[in-house]
Amino acid sequence: MDLLQGTLDMLVLRTLLAGSLHGYGIAKNIRSASNEALDIEFGSLYPALKRLEAKGWIASGWETSAHNRRAKFYKLTAAGRKHLVREHSKWADFVSAVGRIMGALPEVKG
Amino acid sequence: MTIWNRLKYLWPGWRRREEREMREELASLAAIAGRKELGNLTLAMEDVRATWGWTWLDGILADVRYSLRALGRQPSFAAVAVLSLALAIGANSAIFSFADALLLRPLPVRNPTALFDVGSATPDNPLEGMSFPDYRDLRGQSRSFSGLAAYRITALAAAANPAAPAQIRFASLVSDNFFPVAGVTPAAGRAFLPDDVTASAQPVAMVSYDFWQQMYAGRPSVVGSGLRLNGIVFTIVGVAPASFTGLDRFVRPSLLVPLGMAQRLDGETADPLEDRGRHDLVVKGRLSAGASRKSAQAELATIGATLEREYIKTNRHRHMAVRTELERRIQQTPQLLALVKMLMGLVALILIIACSNVANLLLARARVRSREIAIRLSIGAGRSRVVRQLMTESLIVAMAGGVAGLLVAYGGILLLETLSVPSDPPSVLGVQLDWRVVEFSLLAALASCICFGLAPAWQTARTDFVSALKTGGDGASGRGRTVGRDILVAGQIALAMVVLMAAGMFLAGFRNLLAMPPEFRTDHLISLDTAPAVLHYSPEQTKGFYRRLVDRVRTMPGVARVAMTESLPLSPSQTVVSVVPEGYQFPKGREKAIVFGAAVDANYFSTMNVEIKRGRAFTDGDRAGSRPVAIVNQQFAKTYWPGRDPIGKRIRLDSADGPAAEVVGVAKTGHYLAVNETPAPFVYLPCEQNPRSRMTLIVQSAGDAGALATPLRDAVRSIDGNVPVFNLRTVATLYQSRVTDTWLQFFQMVGTMGFIGLALATTGLYGLVAYTVSRRIKEFGIRVAVGASQRDVVWLVERRGLILAGVGVLIGAVLTAAAAPMLSAGFPGLGVSSPAVYVLVPLVLLMVSAMAGYVPARRAAGLDPLRALRNE
Repeated sequence: MDLLQGTLDMLVLRTLLAGSLHGYGIAKNIRSASNEALDIEFGSLYPALKRLEAKGWIASGWETSAHNRRAKFYKLTAAGRKHLVREHSKWADFVSAVGRIMGALPEVKG
Repeated sequence: MTIWNRLKYLWPGWRRREEREMREELASLAAIAGRKELGNLTLAMEDVRATWGWTWLDGILADVRYSLRALGRQPSFAAVAVLSLALAIGANSAIFSFADALLLRPLPVRNPTALFDVGSATPDNPLEGMSFPDYRDLRGQSRSFSGLAAYRITALAAAANPAAPAQIRFASLVSDNFFPVAGVTPAAGRAFLPDDVTASAQPVAMVSYDFWQQMYAGRPSVVGSGLRLNGIVFTIVGVAPASFTGLDRFVRPSLLVPLGMAQRLDGETADPLEDRGRHDLVVKGRLSAGASRKSAQAELATIGATLEREYIKTNRHRHMAVRTELERRIQQTPQLLALVKMLMGLVALILIIACSNVANLLLARARVRSREIAIRLSIGAGRSRVVRQLMTESLIVAMAGGVAGLLVAYGGILLLETLSVPSDPPSVLGVQLDWRVVEFSLLAALASCICFGLAPAWQTARTDFVSALKTGGDGASGRGRTVGRDILVAGQIALAMVVLMAAGMFLAGFRNLLAMPPEFRTDHLISLDTAPAVLHYSPEQTKGFYRRLVDRVRTMPGVARVAMTESLPLSPSQTVVSVVPEGYQFPKGREKAIVFGAAVDANYFSTMNVEIKRGRAFTDGDRAGSRPVAIVNQQFAKTYWPGRDPIGKRIRLDSADGPAAEVVGVAKTGHYLAVNETPAPFVYLPCEQNPRSRMTLIVQSAGDAGALATPLRDAVRSIDGNVPVFNLRTVATLYQSRVTDTWLQFFQMVGTMGFIGLALATTGLYGLVAYTVSRRIKEFGIRVAVGASQRDVVWLVERRGLILAGVGVLIGAVLTAAAAPMLSAGFPGLGVSSPAVYVLVPLVLLMVSAMAGYVPARRAAGLDPLRALRNE
């Protein structure tokens, strides 16, 4: 399934709301949370992470994982949280607007 | 991203740090998830780098590094290309700086494009200035200008302290608002105030920066000190800044004095500022914010018409007009425009020759490099990317050529700097290496880069890489592939021929010039100028001074004859007279003729050897109170009384109702301002009947004229030690500086261009022939193997070069035939189409071409056939 522009950023921020994760962890998390519907390639996720970090919405630091491996973990910043809230309501408006137009599909013959 | 964040990534250390972080992070993730799971990490890293910005800069830097490496691999290519461009761009920049000094450089004022010249001209004299009363009225009524300033240039006798002898210096007499209108702030002290300007005010002056450095060693205490000008003590109130060299091209005034002092400085009985008939002011106006040139012109026309109605006597047919500074300069010196056009045109041809040289080299190189390009294309480089890289290479060559060209230009400018403007007192031509020249060089480099870089880049990027890879690097070899380069070389030779022909025509004209008789004696003559008027002599005193001087000099040992004239032929300051020849019908709107003329004494004609063709010369009997007489030259008679006897005709001086003088003689037409001028009318008046305040003394010596210099100076001193003596020189020296030197310098300039053009075109031809030989080694090997003699091979190679040269010479002849009339028209007497030039230049070109072809031809003929065949 293709993603709308900017949606990936929102998904990353939403995923990090639960707690800090490393880059690969984020990809895995999105995949499993969407029931494998969204298979984000790491190659596209990683530049997005760096972009979010440059904007100051997420911050990173080296940590040791549960399996005793060192990795860079990303966590949401206060600015990122604010941005997520904003994006979330925008997204909700968008979904309900589109929903009103589409509604339930009537019987279409042919 | 904020600017700060972006800038951070320009810093290499920061980028290295980020890069390291990224690699470590990805390595750690690979360890957790496995490489495969993560996908294409190289691409991901590239995408991250793109978010840092500056990828375009990275690309350019990579191109530059790559280009430098590529150029470094072929240092001889780089050297020849850069050298060709350096010579051509250097010549262009040097000539540009020359043209800048002659014509183009903007005025050294604030926002020079908004400063316009306001002329007040009549059809009789389109270059005339404005009278002060007209200026005052204009300034009072005009709304189009935020400021109107007036000035005129004069020469003053200046002495920094009472003990020092006075020196003649250029001065500007300026209106009170001169500095504010020009937008120039003094370097020290203050500019003039409105109160300084009235005639009754305390005399104040400003000095130029150069004068300040020269006479006062830049001491700040100069402000407030005294300075004697024409015998009057002035207080120095300020120093002009170094950047301000005056509003004229060839005159750099040392002194600035309020216009209100004009009457006292010249010791005149009437105030020149109240004389509406005295049109000697230059007026500059700065357009006000709302006004355009057009609206200003309309307003000036109205004001001019009103003035014409009110003051019909002085302002008849007089109209005011706005001109840009450049328009004014071109109007003043149209011959300089012709010179600048010709010189710039010739150096532009040289630049084209150099560009085709480099294009040729690039094309040869492109063939050799086609394999490298093919590999780059086949591994996925976009063609635009390859073209960009090739253009980067061209740009590097061009910029190196531009910078090296500046060095060449600097050498040329050092030579041009020494050119002096033959004026009294002498002034220098401001040829200098400044930012304008640097900008011009870099622009020329950029333009040439586009010229020579685009075609080869396009050709290369078009490469069919499959065939290039297959044939092992050189694409198809053989004869058919150098058509483009043949055209370039033939074109080079054609252009070189045009430049050489121009040089040849100049040389021929120059020889004619030297052979031309000056129409007056130049040997055994020495002249000197004095100006007793600066000491406020009355006209009677001046007359007495000159009479005593002539009497004293006549009795000096070694003196054969003594004469006096208002101006010496061929001296830079020729005097003019306004005359109305009896019976001549002027065209509509014109009412008098302004022609060269001089007041001379009775001995002038015999001393200067000016032949009287009809009638008589002046005699001692032509004195004040006797019948007014005049002598005209043949050209005057021919122009104003064609086919009639001029003897006995009358001319009115100044205007139709001025005093009349009867023509008693006709003198042979001579050269008055330049040897190559078209014959000009001239009027001689007896100086006893037309006394002048400043005269030139001419002394004919029995022996060496130069030996009389010191006795002559002493003679003036013994009459009045305060009278300044200047322009003391032999007439032979004057003749040489006016005739020989100036034109010799121009010839040297054009000759150097011809030489550069020839050298560049020869290099191009040599390069092409040598390249073809290297392409055809195998063929020559076979020819030698099957029995061709060395001579056959030499001829084979030479023939090709000569055919190209021959075609070039033919095209060049056509181009020259088109260009020669322009040259002849721009330089009367100089652009001479001598048959010798038409024969010699093509011969020289063909000979040099043959020599250029001979070197590779010998190499081809000397081939060992076995080695040549093994070469493949």
